[in-house]
Amino acid sequence: MRNKYIESFEKAQVADKNIPDFRAGDTLRVAVLIKEGDKQRIQNFEGICIARRGEGTGETFMVRKIGANSVGVERIFPIYSDSIENITVLRKGRVRRSKLFYLRGLRGKAARIKELKKK
Amino acid sequence: MEYIVEKIGMSRTIAVPSVPVTLLKVVEAKVCEVDESKRAIVAYASGKKMNKAIAGQQKKYDLSAEFNRFVTMDVVNAEAGALDTAPLSEAKNLKVSFNSKGRGFAGVIKRHGFAGGPASHGSRFHRHGGSIGNAEWPGRVQKGRKMPGHYGNAKVTVKNDVVSFDAENGILAVKGAVPGANGAMGRVRIVK
Repeated sequence: MRNKYIESFEKAQVADKNIPDFRAGDTLRVAVLIKEGDKQRIQNFEGICIARRGEGTGETFMVRKIGANSVGVERIFPIYSDSIENITVLRKGRVRRSKLFYLRGLRGKAARIKELKKK
Repeated sequence: MEYIVEKIGMSRTIAVPSVPVTLLKVVEAKVCEVDESKRAIVAYASGKKMNKAIAGQQKKYDLSAEFNRFVTMDVVNAEAGALDTAPLSEAKNLKVSFNSKGRGFAGVIKRHGFAGGPASHGSRFHRHGGSIGNAEWPGRVQKGRKMPGHYGNAKVTVKNDVVSFDAENGILAVKGAVPGANGAMGRVRIVK
């Protein structure tokens, strides 16, 4: 259990953050705020969430996508960071573990994840 | 101005760039006696230590039984009463003093940052200090030679910027790390 003072310090910071409910296996679109000099723009990063780790303001998640020339690209984002404009859940995946690092060793059709059927 | 604080632990902010913070709880303290130069005797509670000398001081200053520690420090209060924490709201930079974590009898690698030698290939020189001096002249070891010995559990002071101060709960967030273990008692002094 975390210290109550650390918890309240972190809770105050994340209070107005609206993070959707997602877990490993879900396909996400992460809108990342990018600052270039005095300009800023939003860049989307779309891929499968392969892990969530940490707690409180230090919690992060990993998104994996297959980039150009079928090179795997992974990015780690802090969930509550101010540089994340929003997170959209595009698809819920049916997976049986919380860390999907086995996807790194698979390619093409084998690396697909079934969609979660709602009951 | 000085305050008694307890180290709670570390966290971080979500701003860009994220700032690592250490949370310190300002311990409730009572000013017993102040002189003209604002030096004061301050009482606070820590543990259960009690003896006749403490009981006598408590009777003298009309304190309740849990205030069993007394220190001398700079305050803003003009008279006896609860310690005034208002200056912490405007503080920007602090000197934070804690007893560092004790490492016991430590070797030169941990204590002084010596590089040590290779672990293998028959080097026969692993984690010791090596030569400690010259030959028949000067025939002694130079003063200040870095050697193994007791390391840690000594007062260490660092400067930290203040990130926020929650006056209601007495929680002070400072940027960066602070010496000592979580739960340890220390002091902060306002630099500006």
